[in-house]
Amino acid sequence: AHTVLYITGLQFVLKLTPHTPAASPSVPGQEDIQAAMPVEELDPSHYPATRAAKVAEHFINTRYGSPFAWFGSSGVKKAGLEDMGVLGTKYHIEFTLKEMTRNQDMGLCSAEVLFHRADERKPPQVQCTCSGAFQVNTSAEEEDLYQRLRNATSLLSGSDIPNSVGHIDPEMAPFWHLGGVASSFIMLRESNESTLLNMAHIDNFTQMETKDAQLMFQYDILLHDMVSQEILKWKLLLSWSPDGGVKVLEAEWDPKCQAIPTSSILY
Amino acid sequence: MQYFVVFLTLFLAVHSQRVFTGDQVLRINAESEEHIQILQTLQKEQEMELDFWIHPVSVDLPVDIHVPSVHLQKVKIFLQEHNIPFSVMINNLQVLLEDEQAEMEKNRIKERSSKSLNFGAYHDLYTIYNWMDSLVTEYPNLVSKEHIGLTYENHAMYVLKFSTGGSSRPAIWIDAGIHAREWVSSATAVWTANKIATDYGHDSSLTSLLNKMDIYLMIVTNPDGYVYTHTSDRMWRKTRSVNPGSMCRGVDPNRNWDAGFGGPGASSNPCSDSYHGPYAHSEVEVKNVVNFIQSHGQFKSFISIHAYSQLLMYPYGYTCTNVPDQAELDSVGRSAVNALSSLYGTQYKVGNICRIIYQASGGSIDWSYDIGIKYSFAFELRDTGRYGFLLPASQIIPTASETWLALKHIMEHVRDNAY
Repeated sequence: AHTVLYITGLQFVLKLTPHTPAASPSVPGQEDIQAAMPVEELDPSHYPATRAAKVAEHFINTRYGSPFAWFGSSGVKKAGLEDMGVLGTKYHIEFTLKEMTRNQDMGLCSAEVLFHRADERKPPQVQCTCSGAFQVNTSAEEEDLYQRLRNATSLLSGSDIPNSVGHIDPEMAPFWHLGGVASSFIMLRESNESTLLNMAHIDNFTQMETKDAQLMFQYDILLHDMVSQEILKWKLLLSWSPDGGVKVLEAEWDPKCQAIPTSSILY
Repeated sequence: MQYFVVFLTLFLAVHSQRVFTGDQVLRINAESEEHIQILQTLQKEQEMELDFWIHPVSVDLPVDIHVPSVHLQKVKIFLQEHNIPFSVMINNLQVLLEDEQAEMEKNRIKERSSKSLNFGAYHDLYTIYNWMDSLVTEYPNLVSKEHIGLTYENHAMYVLKFSTGGSSRPAIWIDAGIHAREWVSSATAVWTANKIATDYGHDSSLTSLLNKMDIYLMIVTNPDGYVYTHTSDRMWRKTRSVNPGSMCRGVDPNRNWDAGFGGPGASSNPCSDSYHGPYAHSEVEVKNVVNFIQSHGQFKSFISIHAYSQLLMYPYGYTCTNVPDQAELDSVGRSAVNALSSLYGTQYKVGNICRIIYQASGGSIDWSYDIGIKYSFAFELRDTGRYGFLLPASQIIPTASETWLALKHIMEHVRDNAY
């Protein structure tokens, strides 16, 4: 992936060109995972395994997420740690996956999550395969939503999703999922061994004018990092279509006054 | 008969100090003008203290007279001598008044009944505080409310005490809502308070527990923060104290305890959500609890309820070294979590803080363990990140119900393992 980083004042902007997968294609079932020879077996309930599984979860969402498919890990079964020396640390994990919008069990997934050395400030690299019928059949709903939005006379927007008491209007739900999936792109890039990121809230989203087939949205979201307990404000520009999937075009972190960037809180 | 209720109420209002035992109310059916005249002269008779509820006006209307018991005999003989028919409408006024009082009290209680709170909804601070008062009113022999101090912004800090008596009984401490945005924690505590109050006397295990031990439950441990999440920032976590020299307010109240204070897993930056504060127990909210626990001196268990992540943890957070009681705490934790899962299949992880979630210094259950309260646990309730802090209200009761099974298991173990 081609990334250009601008640092202006207290903000920095990531401009992401059309997404090319890093190192590894990951069509389920067609990828051979390197024979895992973990140096150290890990307790699957301890945080190193949990954090690695969260990264794999983000990875799966960037690949397969949509307004009607949002994935979450439902428990790590096995975990191992492989010291890769100068390359970093690689986690081998097996975890169960759920499609959260339908509470559908997706079976067992195997992933390798490589965290580069902290000083390199590179996003983690993930390879992942999931057993069982991975494809979630959402094409009908996706097409329906896509057509409705394309044919609408006005641009859609929404805010405060979920609201303070956890409520989401049914018509807003696909946009909640879409925000979650788009957030996964950022959370994947921002993750390291000292983070555990979830999307906490969608402050607002607005549909933008587009000329091409992709629908475009501007999202203001809040991420929560469990480890530092910080709330991180991000602005995302994303595109979606049933054929093109979800892509994040621009992402901008909006720090509060005198806040510390999460990635520099390493103890 | 309708007018009676009104009349009795007014009657009571006027005569609230008097007692009317044996007094009767007679209904007279005057048959002639002569009867009316006789009754009117009776009205003028002051000695007998007759209290006419309906005055003698015409033969078309009854005449009701409240007669003090001491004069009853005389009045009845008088009426009989003049052939004026009468019946006893109220046989004993005092009894009727007492029944009426009881009825009114029952209605008063029903109106602000602790049962009329919607446990499946989130409530603001004052609604919770008012509800706590109604719980105390409804279960005066079990529940009381103690004021343990004020917050930074001068909100009262209250703890509910569940006790069947005794003095200095061994006790269990449960706190919720120390982190403001973790709303399901306080919502669970409200449900739990009601559960304890209603199950006492019906659930044999809980009853035997409360016959030996007291339970203290603090529903909102960070009122300033909780109010702030309602008025300004739903994602606020910390207290609302002013940090001198910084634009950022608040200290993480669960990094502020005197247990490895200032160590790893807490920030020295006032703007951070895990800022430990200038020194241990700098936050008045923390100090109030510390003082209370220390002066009580008989706590055997300290349980702190948070959200989210679905974890049941024991000390330490400030170091990854095992506590001496690791094996026992782990075993109790696992059984507690099995009980929890049995209700809806919710999966929890069990372990010490440092290994399960992160190394974090200055935490409350590390402090409580280090002052000798062996059964120190921390819960992180639902969920695992999909809704996070914004857990739908529809999940409050399921969360509280399953958590109760774990809490009960821990408390039973404490009850059965005195030290």
